[in-house]
Amino acid sequence: MSFQINCPICGLRPVWEFHYGGPLRKRPGPSDDARAWTTYIYDKPNIRGVQTECWFHRSACKLWFIAERDTQVNQVLTTRSFGPQEEANV
Amino acid sequence: MSDGFQPCQFTFDGVSVNANSGQTIAGALHGAGKFILSRSFKYHRPRGLFCVSGRCPNCLCTVDGEPNVRICTRIATPDIQVESQNAWPSIRFDVLAIFDKLHRFMPVGFYYKIMHRPRFLWPMFEKFIRRVAGLGQVDTLHGCDGVYDKLNLFTNVAVIGAGWAGLYAALEAANAGVSVTLVDEQLELGGHLRHDPDLESKSQISTSRVGLIETVRAHPNINVIDSAVAIGCYEENYLAIQRGNRLIRLRADQMIVATGGWERPLIFENNDLPGNFLASGVQRLLHLDGCRFDGSALIVTDNAQGYRVANQLSAAGMKVAAIVDAHEQPSADSDGIDVITGSTVIAARGRRHVKAAVVQSIGGTSQQTISCRWIIQAVGFIPATSLVYQSGCRLEYDPELDQPLVTKYAAGTHSAGAVNGTHDLRVCAFEGQRAGLAAVAAIKLSDSDIRARLAELNSEVERGRTQCFERFSSQYVTQSTAKKKFVCLCEDVTEKDLCDAIDEGYSNIETLKRYSTVCMGPCQGKMCQASSIAICARHNGRPIEQTGTTTARPPEQPVLLGVLAGRAPHFSVTRRTAIHHWHAAAGASFMNAGTWKRPERYMDSVQEYKAVRQQVGLIDVSTLGKIEMRGNDVAEFLEFIYPNRFAKLKVGRVRYGVLCDEAGIILDDGTITRLEDDRFYLTTTSGNAEAIDSWFRWWLASGPHRDVRMTNVTSCYAAMNIAGPRSRDCMLKLCESDLATETMPYLAAAQFKVAGVPAIVLRIGFVGELGYEIHVATQFGLHVWQSLMSAGDEFGIQPFGIEAQRMLRLDKKHILAGVDTDALSNPLEADMPWIVKLDKTDFIGRSSLVRSQNRGLRNRLVGFRIDGDEVPDESSIVIYNRKIAGRITSSRFSPAADATIGLAWVPVEKATNGEIIEIRLNGRTFKAVVQLEPFYDPGAERLKS
Repeated sequence: MSFQINCPICGLRPVWEFHYGGPLRKRPGPSDDARAWTTYIYDKPNIRGVQTECWFHRSACKLWFIAERDTQVNQVLTTRSFGPQEEANV
Repeated sequence: MSDGFQPCQFTFDGVSVNANSGQTIAGALHGAGKFILSRSFKYHRPRGLFCVSGRCPNCLCTVDGEPNVRICTRIATPDIQVESQNAWPSIRFDVLAIFDKLHRFMPVGFYYKIMHRPRFLWPMFEKFIRRVAGLGQVDTLHGCDGVYDKLNLFTNVAVIGAGWAGLYAALEAANAGVSVTLVDEQLELGGHLRHDPDLESKSQISTSRVGLIETVRAHPNINVIDSAVAIGCYEENYLAIQRGNRLIRLRADQMIVATGGWERPLIFENNDLPGNFLASGVQRLLHLDGCRFDGSALIVTDNAQGYRVANQLSAAGMKVAAIVDAHEQPSADSDGIDVITGSTVIAARGRRHVKAAVVQSIGGTSQQTISCRWIIQAVGFIPATSLVYQSGCRLEYDPELDQPLVTKYAAGTHSAGAVNGTHDLRVCAFEGQRAGLAAVAAIKLSDSDIRARLAELNSEVERGRTQCFERFSSQYVTQSTAKKKFVCLCEDVTEKDLCDAIDEGYSNIETLKRYSTVCMGPCQGKMCQASSIAICARHNGRPIEQTGTTTARPPEQPVLLGVLAGRAPHFSVTRRTAIHHWHAAAGASFMNAGTWKRPERYMDSVQEYKAVRQQVGLIDVSTLGKIEMRGNDVAEFLEFIYPNRFAKLKVGRVRYGVLCDEAGIILDDGTITRLEDDRFYLTTTSGNAEAIDSWFRWWLASGPHRDVRMTNVTSCYAAMNIAGPRSRDCMLKLCESDLATETMPYLAAAQFKVAGVPAIVLRIGFVGELGYEIHVATQFGLHVWQSLMSAGDEFGIQPFGIEAQRMLRLDKKHILAGVDTDALSNPLEADMPWIVKLDKTDFIGRSSLVRSQNRGLRNRLVGFRIDGDEVPDESSIVIYNRKIAGRITSSRFSPAADATIGLAWVPVEKATNGEIIEIRLNGRTFKAVVQLEPFYDPGAERLKS
């Protein structure tokens, strides 16, 4: 893996500065049933194509942000931080 | 021949050989008449020089202990010891050459078919296979004293290959003002022009090779890296380049692949006999190594290259018996040499070396045997497409050119020259320039000048390609029913083997490769990929374009493991605490804890253990992760993050907490202290500090917008734990606060001065004694440590290390997250149900823990004791009903319990006091008694005293 990610704060940096946090999903609520929770915990999507994901810039600014990555060619298309407009996932 | 090398002597299998200055080892051996250089992998057939370009496996030798060196590209240096491989007792008389006679008992995949039956014979077969398989012997000490390092480079345009196209591409891009890195595997630039001087003189080109190379080398924008192999291309033009013992990692905005290619071997009976050569191999030996080819040569060809080689040989005073041309009309002017048209070579004759060639008319039956010592093959070209495949370009087989061509480029990738099937130098120059300019246009916004010039170059290339198109005859295998026609020189795979494998059902090229091992040897398909695809297509009765190809993966050329492993000291951080040098001076032996160095013990851990239990001990815990959180919503956030409660945690109180993930699995544990109403101070385990930092940040970033400001203060504080019945006495000497249990009870926290320095003091007790954890600013760490040591002197204070701490905490059954727990451990089963508050509406892991609770626990983490002092290893297995039912996670001899104690995961039905469990280690069984309460101070009177 040698692709690069455009960190919303630090700019274009190599992927090994980042930590992958999995695809972005909404966390089920306390009242959701077991099926919803099982899907959330164990059945993580792995889309062939453009996937919305969470990445963490562990080696520098420590920002969690959202990235769209084409998993077929490992290219990150867009990135954005969790701004106030972002709906809470929890 | 190159500068800097002197004539020298070296040994080959113990015999002294002379080399001229700059000559390759192979060239020197050829000059000395040593034509058998190796024995083949399976049949131990004699093999000699063939490609002379570092691609085929025939010249693999051990050089000064380094196995599998391609001696045709290694320059001879004084006193090296070259040894042949895969032969015993000697390369000329190899006992295992008997396999060549037994080949009909060793068909393709024979080891799959015969060696697993009968089953009891397999160990014998295995022993035998391991002895005869493999090439070369690994000297495990070889290279240990070498320096392997890494170099990171950045460039606008990377050009791979400094042949005619690559040189022009580099120059064009550099002239447009971008930075260019030109990588070439040879010592000198120029590609095929180095060994084929006629290529230059007979082409319509205006620049000389020498002039062009001088311009390129002197260009301020071009960085030339020669003698370097681009072994892999990864996403976004990240190139791995091996140069000697160094790995260069090159990030390029744009990449131009101008890797050229090599000649295609012709497959006929005994095509592997020493004396068979690729034409360019002959040219390399002739022009670069100054070698001779005594005795007559026969050239088999279908293009002008064969004629050039013939002319060069006769110009150098060597005898050419004939040119065998597959075309009905000669492909070029033979200059008086006999030409046999419409024919090809179907067999070589000879035992250890070629003595004659059998020539047969194509499609006919008329044969003649021509006596000759060398059979030289010039039947076309294989493009070096590995890098274009790796970069993600799409290629399709072009039947016109008989090679794969790029139909869709990956972003930032270009190609030029022979990779595109272009061989004419003039057109190569245009293609190189076009690629160079296209790369520049992709970097800079292209202006009208660039666009106009690109259009001009495009039409030049198109015109040139139609004018100079050279048609090869698509010869791969000549027709005969002979068996020993070797497709794959590495693994001794014959045409018949491939056909048999296809008949057995392995008709897909990828399964054919895996079953027959074609393309899987040291050359990785460089010699055999094209011909194996052609044979697969023919035998399946389908065209090549529908046959597909095997996948090209890095490394493109073999690479030393040392180069990949290398040393990268700047990437492996070593962290020391503020008290490190004191520990070192006190004779501590250190262990690694994550990136930290921590004292494992100072002298004797049992003594350290006893000091803590009886008097007082001091341990450095600066490595703990430390996080400070401020804000109005911290308590609510912690309530969500942890399974236990924090909303009502009072100021000045500490609480133990376990972090779980959504599956309810324990991630980490630590303490949470409320220092002020809106200020919390958290600790994490040493190894997990980074991961937990990221974990908290994730929930803060993705969750509702809470008023929480978190700061990682791990390196701001030095921390130490003073523990033991006399710890309060020590502390009282250094602070003015009241430390009586009434004012500062167990799990209280306070901020006051210790040894004159502001400190956060937590009364906690991981080791199970009265104790205080003191956090002070890092720069005061050593001062406070030394003050405590002097204050404790009269009470017999001892510093203690990790080992003593582990013994002490085991007495109390305090777990180590990650040691006693694994990826299946939740806190209910880890015997901490009190820490999980399922009546909270929501927290991370709640849904999973609720389900675990409802389903009923399956396993539990329990304590056990074994009388006596034998200690089973950690991770020994627990047997129940003659099955593996659990494992030991911790075990030590405990002086306090006067027995061996430990923690183990056991089935829940065994998790009651007094149950006997069986622990198995190395075939021995230990009987252990389950104990649920702690082994020391079960009522925690000492802890709370």
